[in-house]
Amino acid sequence: MLMNTIVTITVVASSERTAENAIEDAFLTIGDIEKRADFYSPESEITTINKSAGVSDVKVSPDILSLIGKALSVSEKTGGAFDITTGPVTLLYDFHTKQKPEDDALKKTLPLVNYRNVVINKKDSTVYLRKPGMMIDPGGISKGYAADRATDVLKQLGISSGIVAIAGDIRSFGLKPDGRPWKIGIRNSRATGTEDDIMATMELTDAAVSTSGDYERFFISDGIRYHHILSPMTGHPAGMCRSVTVIAPEGYLADSFSTGIFILGPDKGLPILETSGYGGVIVDNQGKVRITPGLRGKIEFQRNP
Amino acid sequence: MNFREILKFTTVADRVLFSILILFSLLGLIFVRSLILGGNSVEINVDGNLEYVLPLDEEKTVPVQGPQGTTLVEIRNHRVRVVESPCQNKLCIQQGWVEHGVIACLPNKVLITVGKNGKRGSEPDAVTE
Repeated sequence: MLMNTIVTITVVASSERTAENAIEDAFLTIGDIEKRADFYSPESEITTINKSAGVSDVKVSPDILSLIGKALSVSEKTGGAFDITTGPVTLLYDFHTKQKPEDDALKKTLPLVNYRNVVINKKDSTVYLRKPGMMIDPGGISKGYAADRATDVLKQLGISSGIVAIAGDIRSFGLKPDGRPWKIGIRNSRATGTEDDIMATMELTDAAVSTSGDYERFFISDGIRYHHILSPMTGHPAGMCRSVTVIAPEGYLADSFSTGIFILGPDKGLPILETSGYGGVIVDNQGKVRITPGLRGKIEFQRNP
Repeated sequence: MNFREILKFTTVADRVLFSILILFSLLGLIFVRSLILGGNSVEINVDGNLEYVLPLDEEKTVPVQGPQGTTLVEIRNHRVRVVESPCQNKLCIQQGWVEHGVIACLPNKVLITVGKNGKRGSEPDAVTE
């Protein structure tokens, strides 16, 4: 399966044939990006970059160059809260075997995390990691980016309206055949069953939506929830939110900002979303919901999360 | 004024316009219907071709012919599972009951989509998580 997740593409087209061709090409595009950006595959471009850390620069494809460039720009905008160089810290955790790092190991690894040590050369199409042992893990932005590229492909092939959803990273464009915008639901971070699994819905189009939640990959040890969204500053799972949903013009923005804002917490995160002009729905660690002012009246809550 | 009298006041262009409007509104009905009706069904594809569309609320056991043999699909209590499969790994059977989502048997090229589209009434088109 692509990106180890479920990919859904819905389109509105003049004929079934147009739709099928476009969807097939969009899937191929997503698969191609996944192959190149896979942190865990020994053959991916990302792994080649990581293996050459501190040794040499690596020539990369336009997609990987663009993806890393975008990731670095989001790092700047989030004050380093979103950082694709958390790879070595991520590897210290194992969410299947409930393994978490010793303080010693964490202390040794943290200096490897710093997006400023990623050097990209757009002219030569190369990427270089300054320190040996550094690793890029683009997991917090690659799905959103892939949704953008798939949307480009659909539009080029004559599709006027559709949704690309790579797991929870959604990009929508155009209107449904009934003339309404697409209806997007936000997963309840503490759902107990199918009855309460949607926290809120909103209608939107020509926008991307992503959510970062502490419920996606986690284990509980000594009453503490260890989840996969790790702070680049401490190396520990970020503790101020349960979930952060971001609505932005492009998928890569929604995907990476949701991670970055999750790490920053609601107090620092909301102003950043507001100044960027993005929408945000934040469930803090007490279960309290906060939204950006622009979303008021546009979002419909089904229940209190 | 009855319909005949009204018709006298219209030009040919008016009539064409009205016909087009009526046609479009009928087409719209059909489109919306197909979107809404998709919600509660089970779709079974074999090797990329749609072979069955079945209601989720009707209990049924369907033998689906794939290239390797028969995949037996059971629909019960708004859930779907694979009971028998000719494939080696039996991953499709291990997946158990599915209420909403996809069961795939790659060796026998059978793809079962449960709750297709999920667009019943107020349900969202996509969910971010």
